[in-house]
Amino acid sequence: MKNKILNNRYRKTTNGFWLFVVVLILSFQLQAQSSREYNIKAVFLYNFTQFVDWPPSAFSNAESPFIIGILGEDPFHAALDEAVVGEKVKDHPIIVQRYHDVKDITTCHILFINLKEESKMKETLSILSGKNILTVSDMPDFAAIGGIVRFASEKNKIRLQINLPASKHADLTISSKLLQVADIVR
Amino acid sequence: MKDNRSAIQRKLMGLVLVTSGVVLLLTCIGFFAYEFFTFRMASKERLSTLGEIISANSTAALAFDDAENAAEILNALKAEKHIVAAALYDKKGNLFARYPGDFPKYNLPIHPASDGYNYKSDYLEGYQRVIQAEAKLGTLYLRSDMKAIYTRFERYGLISLLVVALSILVAYLLSRQLQKKISKPILALAKTAADISTKKDFTVRAKKFDDDELGLLTDAFNQMLTQIERQNAEILSFNYALEQKVNERTLELEQANIELKLRSEFEETIIDSSVDIIAVFDRSLNYVSLNRSGKIAFGLADKDVIGKNILEVFPQVKTSVMYQNLVKVFDTGEMILDQRYTSLISHIIMQNFFIPLLDKNNEVYRVLVIGHDITEISKTHEQLKQLNSELEKSNLNLEQFAFIASHDLQEPLRKIQTFSQLLERDLDNKESIKKHLAKIMSSAGRMTDLIKAVLNYSRLSNEKGDYEEVDLKQVLDDVVSDLELKIIEKEAVIDAGNLPVICGNSLQLTQLFLNLISNSLKFSEKKPEIKIASTIINKREAMGIDNFNNNGAFVKLIFKDNGIGFEQHYAERIFTVFQRLHGKQEYPGTGIGLALCKKIVDNHQGQISVRSTPGEGTEFTILLPASLSPKRLKE
Repeated sequence: MKNKILNNRYRKTTNGFWLFVVVLILSFQLQAQSSREYNIKAVFLYNFTQFVDWPPSAFSNAESPFIIGILGEDPFHAALDEAVVGEKVKDHPIIVQRYHDVKDITTCHILFINLKEESKMKETLSILSGKNILTVSDMPDFAAIGGIVRFASEKNKIRLQINLPASKHADLTISSKLLQVADIVR
Repeated sequence: MKDNRSAIQRKLMGLVLVTSGVVLLLTCIGFFAYEFFTFRMASKERLSTLGEIISANSTAALAFDDAENAAEILNALKAEKHIVAAALYDKKGNLFARYPGDFPKYNLPIHPASDGYNYKSDYLEGYQRVIQAEAKLGTLYLRSDMKAIYTRFERYGLISLLVVALSILVAYLLSRQLQKKISKPILALAKTAADISTKKDFTVRAKKFDDDELGLLTDAFNQMLTQIERQNAEILSFNYALEQKVNERTLELEQANIELKLRSEFEETIIDSSVDIIAVFDRSLNYVSLNRSGKIAFGLADKDVIGKNILEVFPQVKTSVMYQNLVKVFDTGEMILDQRYTSLISHIIMQNFFIPLLDKNNEVYRVLVIGHDITEISKTHEQLKQLNSELEKSNLNLEQFAFIASHDLQEPLRKIQTFSQLLERDLDNKESIKKHLAKIMSSAGRMTDLIKAVLNYSRLSNEKGDYEEVDLKQVLDDVVSDLELKIIEKEAVIDAGNLPVICGNSLQLTQLFLNLISNSLKFSEKKPEIKIASTIINKREAMGIDNFNNNGAFVKLIFKDNGIGFEQHYAERIFTVFQRLHGKQEYPGTGIGLALCKKIVDNHQGQISVRSTPGEGTEFTILLPASLSPKRLKE
């Protein structure tokens, strides 16, 4: 989206240098906005731990860690680590794991997938299908193609889209309270 | 509404109504208080429950930053109309959502306070944490008004008012009937008592209703009536007898009273008609009575005196003998007679009797004072005393006179006898006869002189003063002219200053001057020089002179000569009749001259004194009143 705007502005070179400056400032602003957005998303990821129930089989024992994973490029930087530091889900300490490849994933409870290509995404989701993982992504049709939760930006606010059958398939119980603040996708 | 019930009936009903009213009131108050506290507690609990529900519902909205959803959840509070405001704060304490949507932010707390619900002045408010799986997501704030309590109380108030009104009505109706049970017998009793007291009829009896205490009271009352009836009859008969007796007694008493009054009046008349002052004092020295003479003498009325202390009436008697005597009689109980007392009040002279009056214990309870006016008697007595002393004096003079006269008058007589015997013996000798006869005649002549002088002196003693204004200058001139031959013979010088006019007897004063001047001429060896001076002494100076009491101015006369003089210790003797300091042959004279002078000065109520030194001269000083008032004349 950022590149698109830049390209559009670039095409109209008549406005010259000043336009460039304006675009530069705007771009900084967008960047700032983007980092704020991911801060909130990081908190949301943590908050999911309180509104979603994982089956006991998702944990090897009572003290085993609760893993929040990031697949693909990490847009949170330190924000997610800061949001979960010292926190626990029941007795499971939360830790953050970063993955390059879906095959690296052994145990994971919440997975933020940051992939650009839809085909790759579909492939990933099919690999993860049946595991007790709450999949989350920014991708527009993520919920429609089998993802569970999608962050949708709407009027400077982040809305949630939830695919309820997908969550059931993953054997996760989502609190009705969470559903109340989310859009349900079939 | 007219209430024709009796006082006791009203009181009984009032008692029932007040009691039930107070009981109901207290019950209502207790009920209200209980309701108030329980309702407050219930309200708090309900609000807290509501808070828990809302906070549970709003966790997701807070967690996922959905303000709209939060507002929607809060909006559900519409169903609770007592909730006036609600708000959600996020984790950081910032306002997240509020209810109602248009509730002003400034009326809400800026940041949430700690958990719990509390009553504020007119609302109930509280905070509640929003927790999801042990994590705090934010805070809920709720505020409820108190209308619920007020509405409830209004309803209760109305109900209790109705209940109280109804209860009091029922109590009134019941008491109306029940009070009769007690009031009826009392009223019957009261009516009977009233009837008895108005009609004085003790034969009626009260009706008895029940066998309770009131029944007993009625019985006792009736018994009392029976007794009163019987005693009344006794009293009536007794009264009649008593009245009879009283009448008799009264008659007797009246008779006695009349007699007593007559007697008392009689005694009073006697006391009042007494010329003596009669007073009676009690132990406190208050006047009990004062008779008419006393009141007249002191110029007082009964009301000024009776019952008052003597010192209150006459403060001046405090130090008087009369007051001391009065006190003494009360002390000793013995009668005192004060023979002579000059009253300090009326200045009359009195003879006072202080007579103690004894009561049946022989104690002095009053003192009777009788004052007898002896002013006149006393005056007469004084005069008599004076006359007596004068008589004594004159007697003494007479005795002296007789003694001296017998001696001096005998002397010429003896000479006449002696020369007569000599004459008888020498009858033949003519020469001798002549000589003896001459001696006899001379003695007879001297005898005549003596008798004349004595007569003169005695006349002076008996003479009554006949006083007039006398010019002493004139007197001196007369005397000098009488003695002219002698003065020329002796070559005497008489030096007289100014002499005043005084009041006196002209003849006597002439005699005085004559005697003094002729004495000075007689008792001198050289040429006599006689100086006569006079000074006026005023009243104040005259008072200073010893032994000389007189009020008025005086004339002081001084006769001074340069004669032979005499020893000063003879100064008294020379004024006595027939006292002579020199022989008859040396200085002839009768020895009466200076006695006469003293007599004259005495007659003028004056004083004569003498100072002398032998060989140098004599000085007579005479004081004479300048003017004699007729009263002071010596009769």
